[in-house]
Amino acid sequence: MRTTHRRSFVVLATTATLTTLAGCASGAAGGTPATGGDPSAAATPAGGASTPTASAGGTSAGTYRDGTYSATGDYRSPGGEQKVQVKVTLADDVVTAVEVTPEPSDPTSQSYQQRFASGVAEQVVGKRLDEVHVDRVSGSSLTSQGFAAALAQIATDARG
Amino acid sequence: MHGAEVAFEAIGTAWRITTATPLPDATLDRVHATIAAYDRVWSRFRDDSVVRELARTGGTCTLPDHGGALLDLYDVLDERTHGAVTPLVGASLERLGYDAGYHLRASGPALPAPRTPVLRDGATITLAAPALLDVGAAGKGQLVDLVAAELRACGVGEYVVDAGGDLVHRGPDALRVGLQAPGDPTHVLGVVDVRDRALCGSAVDRRAWGDGLHHVVDARTGTPTRDVVATWVVADRAMDADGLATALFFADPDLLQDVVEHTYVRVHADGRARFALDLPGEVFS
Repeated sequence: MRTTHRRSFVVLATTATLTTLAGCASGAAGGTPATGGDPSAAATPAGGASTPTASAGGTSAGTYRDGTYSATGDYRSPGGEQKVQVKVTLADDVVTAVEVTPEPSDPTSQSYQQRFASGVAEQVVGKRLDEVHVDRVSGSSLTSQGFAAALAQIATDARG
Repeated sequence: MHGAEVAFEAIGTAWRITTATPLPDATLDRVHATIAAYDRVWSRFRDDSVVRELARTGGTCTLPDHGGALLDLYDVLDERTHGAVTPLVGASLERLGYDAGYHLRASGPALPAPRTPVLRDGATITLAAPALLDVGAAGKGQLVDLVAAELRACGVGEYVVDAGGDLVHRGPDALRVGLQAPGDPTHVLGVVDVRDRALCGSAVDRRAWGDGLHHVVDARTGTPTRDVVATWVVADRAMDADGLATALFFADPDLLQDVVEHTYVRVHADGRARFALDLPGEVFS
């Protein structure tokens, strides 16, 4: 199966520490905080007494309530301390969406956060060369004559 | 650019130089002289090169000025990749069969690059012991830059210098470059518009020869990489784009961000891709 959605996110540097997701349910999807002060809204631990989410059915107890959670994280970049807001949408204990909003503290931080932001394609899909207008290609399998000749020799040896 | 084009084979790859008007013979002579001089210093594939001499004797030699810039970049990439990218990888490549005789067969177990101390003062290099240098990670890009510099010195203001897909563009109209799918020259994974900049790529299928052997080798182990299968980098200089394209096989893109200003695409063996959001182009997904 090909997933073709694309999303942007901020990749945290190796020194990053993202604070625990806590509180601040957006409520847009009836979200509840994963951990929070209100016991009625607390996530249900596996095997707990609380009712699992309806969509989890009776086969497995949901560990987290469905919903959208948000938190602010801090990490250290070459531009200094950075803050990012992270929103995570959970459904059936699966993260279905992640949205990261940089909260740059100054222009330098903003520059770093933009530069550190990456796009991700879950699955790249090739297009036929004749479907795409390009002036030329890069990554070509062009090889030198000597290289091609050597490969041909190997193929001959392999057959012999 | 729809103008004149010259095509030739040099340093083991196919070159195309596209210009608005045909290059005068004198300019083309300078281009070929630049390539020949570079080959004379850096080629692992000829006995009379400087790197072959260093591999026999070690010791000190003074490289052309461009050698200092090239080895400066290698120092940074070595540090960022924790030793995966180093010019000391020559013997590792030869062990895998990527040698002057194009044996293309491993002649023994993988050979990690030696930890030979390389002392340097600008373009003067001293090897504490004989070692075979290989600048394949960034050298071709640098040679593309040097050829472009010759063109500019000869008054050529618009050009595309393309050495087997590693290219530099200068002129008013952007060049649209397809990112060729590894192992499938009939498909592209994306497009990038290049204007007044360089684009270099590295893919493991380009020079691959059986049993997972290819030319992108981790110097720490002497074995080819497996996880990343193709990378492309757009930067001002082809040397930087070329070197970063190799380094992206071994280092997280974030760790390379501040080497020089650049954008990138990195494709993994499982089909995932990561790319700079400000990439001047598109990755198909």
